[in-house]
Amino acid sequence: MSAIIPSREPSTPRIIKAEGEQPIFAPGDRVRITKRFPVGHYRVPSYLRGRTGSVEKVIEPAGIDNEEEGFGRNAGTKRHYYRVAIPLSELWPGYAGSYRDALHVEIFETWLERN
Amino acid sequence: MTDTSALLNRLANDIGGAQAGPIEQVEHQLEPWEKRCHALADVLDFHKIINTEEKRRGVESLGEVAIGKLTYYERWIAAFANILFQKAILTPTELARQMDLVAARSTSCDVRSDYPSVRSG
Amino acid sequence: MSTHTHDDHHRPVDADAPVGYYEVMETAVRELLIGKQLIGPEEIRRQIEVLDSRTPALGAQVVVKAWLDPKFRARLLTDGRAACEELGISFYDDTRLIVLENTDKVHNLIVCTLCSCYPRPVLGLPPDWYKLKPFRARAVIEPRAVLAEFGTHIPDDIEIRVSDSTAMVRYLVLPLRPEGTEAYTEAQLAALVTRDTMIGVVQATIPRTQRTSL
Repeated sequence: MSAIIPSREPSTPRIIKAEGEQPIFAPGDRVRITKRFPVGHYRVPSYLRGRTGSVEKVIEPAGIDNEEEGFGRNAGTKRHYYRVAIPLSELWPGYAGSYRDALHVEIFETWLERN
Repeated sequence: MTDTSALLNRLANDIGGAQAGPIEQVEHQLEPWEKRCHALADVLDFHKIINTEEKRRGVESLGEVAIGKLTYYERWIAAFANILFQKAILTPTELARQMDLVAARSTSCDVRSDYPSVRSG
Repeated sequence: MSTHTHDDHHRPVDADAPVGYYEVMETAVRELLIGKQLIGPEEIRRQIEVLDSRTPALGAQVVVKAWLDPKFRARLLTDGRAACEELGISFYDDTRLIVLENTDKVHNLIVCTLCSCYPRPVLGLPPDWYKLKPFRARAVIEPRAVLAEFGTHIPDDIEIRVSDSTAMVRYLVLPLRPEGTEAYTEAQLAALVTRDTMIGVVQATIPRTQRTSL
């Protein structure tokens, strides 16, 4: 008599995510804001270029690159914005306030590198 | 040779951390045209004719001198005009002609090189 | 480095004066777009009504509900826009809202250094000072001095957290509920929640005239 082989639950099919769907960074990650100086429209203030901080939050859902959106491109690959925290004492030499004070700012994924 | 790159890669609105004086806690009631201008921005965004980011870029493109001299909503309407030209929605001639028509509607007979008074819309 | 005044004076308008150049431009642009049927003839008027209906009273309503209802507060902190929409406060644009909770450890302040991003659907239009250079330049480098100009002094053991809006997220500060308001009605609480408490330049306080000694 042949043994009864219990049927196996079908496993979830492995999906491939589209480019930009998966956030590259997670809360707690140390990131550096790229030192880049584009001509034309930008939304990363120059006082932040080259600074390091921590990811506080991944902003959902993913969004359009607002620098391209400024030129009318409001479709296409979406990526994540991240709320990044940087202590003011690290941002400004001789900062006179509390060492606890911090800046939080949204940065688009293309402006961040792992630190 | 002076490095002029900052004229191109540093926007006039990029002022976080810059030196500045005390905050004058001023506020003003919007003029009717300013409110219409704000509403126009929202309507243009809704229709995907000019989105908010395009408006920001359009204001930046006015350049430092104009940005310094125009008021907040003056910058918006100037930016809209330029963007509408770029998108071939309006032409400069069309706008100039319509501005002349608007200016000519008047309840007074004041004739000046500036625009005479018009009925408010 | 470029220097510029970035002045943004309001030019006072005399009712009998000729209509200004930019008002003529605004009128002409609007009429041309309507003539080409790119926008409808009533849309501007309707959007003005939408804008006029958005005032800090809406934000105050959100804050008071958060003070009184811990579950709403939790939902508000998870998704600010959705919680506002529960109260019927629609968002007519694509922005999102993150509500920043003041605690005994953190005091929040919002700014847009690059332009004038502001939670308009729930607060209405921003005051001029929020859009002008001194606030925008200084809030991110000397927030304590900025707050002092508004009469606000936060102890050094409390973090001042400055949020600079650069993208599609907008911020609203959820101020601390003042001590001594346990018996206040919703309307009395709402009167304490001014626009400036939700920007973060001041804290919600009981006005001197209302304070009672124990």
